[in-house]
Amino acid sequence: MPVPATTLPSGPRWLRLTSAGRTAAIVALVVLLAFLSVYPLSMLLYGSLHSTPPGIAGTFNLDGYRDVLTRESLITLLNTVGISLAKTIPSLVLAVLLAWILARTDTPFRGVLEVLVTLPFFVPPILTAMAWGMLGNPQVGLLNQLYQWATGSTSSPINVYSYGGVIWHMMQYAVPFLFLLIVDAFRVMDPSLEEAARMCGASRWRTFRTVTLQLMLPALTSAAILSFIRGIENFESPLFFGTPAGIHVITTDIYDSINQRSPPQYQYATAASFVIMALLFLIVLLQWSLLRGRSFTTVSGKGFSPRVVELGKWRWVTFAFCALFFVVTVVLPVGQLLIGSFFKFFGFYEWDMLTLDHYREVFASDEFWRGFGNTMLLGLVGATLTMVLGGAVAYISVRTKWRGRSLIDAMAWLPWMMPGIVLGVGFLWGFALLPHAIPIYGTIWALLLAYISLGTPLSVRVMSSAYAQLSYDLEECSRVHGAGWLETMWRIMIALAWPSFAVGWVLIFFGIMRELSASVLLYSVGSEVLSVVLLKLWVNGNAEQVSVIGLLMMLMVIVFRWVQLKFINTRISTL
Amino acid sequence: MSNVILEKVSRNFGEFAAVSSVDLRINEGEFVTLLGPSGCGKTTTLRMVAGLEQNTGGRISIGNVVVSDAARGLFVPAERRALGMVFQSYAIWPHMTVFDNVAYPLRVRRVRRPEMQERVLAALKLVEMESYADRPAPALSGGQQQRVAIARALVFEPALLLLDEPLSNLDARLRAQMGSEFRALQKRLGITSLYVTHDQEEAMTLSDRVVVMQAGRVLQIGTPEEIYQRPRSREVATFFGSPNLIQATVTGCIRIDDGEFELAVRGNGWEGICRAGEAVATGTDVLVMVRPENVRLGGEATKGNGAGTVLSGKVVQASFHGARRSVTVEVNGSLMKAEVPAMAPLGERVTVTIDEGTAWALAS
Repeated sequence: MPVPATTLPSGPRWLRLTSAGRTAAIVALVVLLAFLSVYPLSMLLYGSLHSTPPGIAGTFNLDGYRDVLTRESLITLLNTVGISLAKTIPSLVLAVLLAWILARTDTPFRGVLEVLVTLPFFVPPILTAMAWGMLGNPQVGLLNQLYQWATGSTSSPINVYSYGGVIWHMMQYAVPFLFLLIVDAFRVMDPSLEEAARMCGASRWRTFRTVTLQLMLPALTSAAILSFIRGIENFESPLFFGTPAGIHVITTDIYDSINQRSPPQYQYATAASFVIMALLFLIVLLQWSLLRGRSFTTVSGKGFSPRVVELGKWRWVTFAFCALFFVVTVVLPVGQLLIGSFFKFFGFYEWDMLTLDHYREVFASDEFWRGFGNTMLLGLVGATLTMVLGGAVAYISVRTKWRGRSLIDAMAWLPWMMPGIVLGVGFLWGFALLPHAIPIYGTIWALLLAYISLGTPLSVRVMSSAYAQLSYDLEECSRVHGAGWLETMWRIMIALAWPSFAVGWVLIFFGIMRELSASVLLYSVGSEVLSVVLLKLWVNGNAEQVSVIGLLMMLMVIVFRWVQLKFINTRISTL
Repeated sequence: MSNVILEKVSRNFGEFAAVSSVDLRINEGEFVTLLGPSGCGKTTTLRMVAGLEQNTGGRISIGNVVVSDAARGLFVPAERRALGMVFQSYAIWPHMTVFDNVAYPLRVRRVRRPEMQERVLAALKLVEMESYADRPAPALSGGQQQRVAIARALVFEPALLLLDEPLSNLDARLRAQMGSEFRALQKRLGITSLYVTHDQEEAMTLSDRVVVMQAGRVLQIGTPEEIYQRPRSREVATFFGSPNLIQATVTGCIRIDDGEFELAVRGNGWEGICRAGEAVATGTDVLVMVRPENVRLGGEATKGNGAGTVLSGKVVQASFHGARRSVTVEVNGSLMKAEVPAMAPLGERVTVTIDEGTAWALAS
């Protein structure tokens, strides 16, 4: 080996991280995160204490909070909590059943079924909400028409504009969400723990009750709490099915007080935002105290496949159950969109009413193309920026001992406590109060910043677990062998973490595509996204064009999901 | 190649001292092992030499260049110390081929492609892995990963090679083979090496010198023979095997030729002789260490240059281990362990002989 070590310098100087550079990086991150989370939050506080809309002179008072403390608001609060509880419990039972069927039994076609059962989670809620609005319409809904045709009666048993409708629509998302969170816990559980119970004389059912379920309890509890939180934050279901029936929850209440009342009740909306955040904070505290000291590692990461229960003839029953879930949550709504898009008027399905006019109209509409372009642009740019930010935050909080890392972590986590509608209100105030030299208000950048803020907690989570899986040795080995900090980041950490980056990217992209609550507050003419375009068409009663756009969005969802499953997940399993 | 000097090197985590005041001098081309139970500070010491952790006290020099001095606030980061290191987990990057893994140190140093090719293949040849160059790294077995890790650490002829329990993830047979292969390679290249292990046998078979550590302190530094036969304390003695430790009182002390002292000792109902490293006053209590393999049963004491100790005892337990037999003998009411050839005949009453020069006195 010809060249002695002393003449080989380590990597180039610009690839080394100086301590000044480190401080600058931390300060930049803190400023950015503060703008994305602390700023809207403090604007909410300001708004809730200020008597007039953003940018208009007024006085400070407590009227907003006084308005919140009324009987109607109490009913709204009870509705919110009650509806979320009512959807979480049956969803959890269904999800446990599905997880057990797909992870622990010999049900045929489990691989395909798993993809199908989780698909509803990736469909934008606004699509299924509109589809169910057509399916379950008490006057002209397809389900009621079918019932009347089959029984000959004139009554309409199904009405989605009710408590049941709100809960039913939420459940379609809660079940696959819970399933995704708990199925791996079922899958990687050490089978010898169950076998030991069987050897002690316990029956299969008793084993499931006393061992399997008990071991799953921490995972189930935390999943249920997350689902409960999502129920409280939910906007689409109560907006579509609750508001028409006079059922109000906090999120729709906030929306109505800004968008449906004249003049808009900004002070009430911001005060209500604080109520919902306080509620969420209480739940998170409850979660912490419940799960403290509880280990999530009753399931070890060892590579064994759990013993599969042989169901015999019953496996076709479990197969049918999973298939039915998919039919009800995906095939029915998509079928409705398909039918709706080809008939002249929604609700009147005669052969001579078939038409392609709606497709022509949609493709000729500027608004659709603008919404499509905006959604794609925001999705691509937003997902990329969110993941880059999340990757940086996760690295600093997981892999370094830099001072200020817990501050960064906490600020990135803050939007987790803020439902989209609340963050939307906060940014609405925040952007309106910015100096005129920073024209974000009413532009597409307002949406971009809101999406990044909403997505950051998830991206930090994904990247944290990715980094946590990489042993420190891999990084240190690179340092010892001459690579500086930045070069190590580039060649080792980013290279190894990119599959997780891609998974997170797709999740964030889906999130942006489906986002409605913040978008509907922050858009303005020219910066509409697809979900806003859909909502406007729906409100104008144009269910047929809604069907066309919904189908196109559905197509995008399926393509992205396919790409994700086909390329990214297989790439991860080889690592 | 270069020497390494540690002067009063310490590492504190708050109140807790992981390493306190370690002094160590490693000569050029020497193979030194840090040995101790887990949590004794050996890995922390190695990581401070590597520059992966900063010492909170003392000074470290490599090749007569100070790389870390706590008093002056000087700290050269790991990547500028030009060291090679083999990690316990091997840290083979799973997203690269074998070639790319080994080429990494050259790549970050911007070595030109033809030269890099040549040196990577030369390094792979050293560990007999040249035919695996294009394999993806996850497709390697444990032993192969280990060889790649060694090739990567050697590829740019580092000033010093650091090894953190590199054999602990291998099975017993492969461990012995890789250990001796590596030692042969190290001798051939004459590369200065600092090795960390908790396995006494590995430390003794591989090293020029062994540093025994406990609770962040160095207990003893010496050749494997010194550490094993002439331990300075009870802790060091019991770290290797399970020696007989017998209470005794010194009755006489004379200096002998090779710088050691011969002590006459008296215990509970017996008298004998043993060696010590320094003069011990008459009347002092000592612990006499006798390794089981130095206890002979039956036969006469070797009375060449001075008498050994001869006692009589009764066999209370014996177990067969193939090549040898472990025997427990009761001597004057206390038990003594002995390792004897398996085929030697064994009666119930035996003469216990401890040869001259094999018994060693420790401070009581």
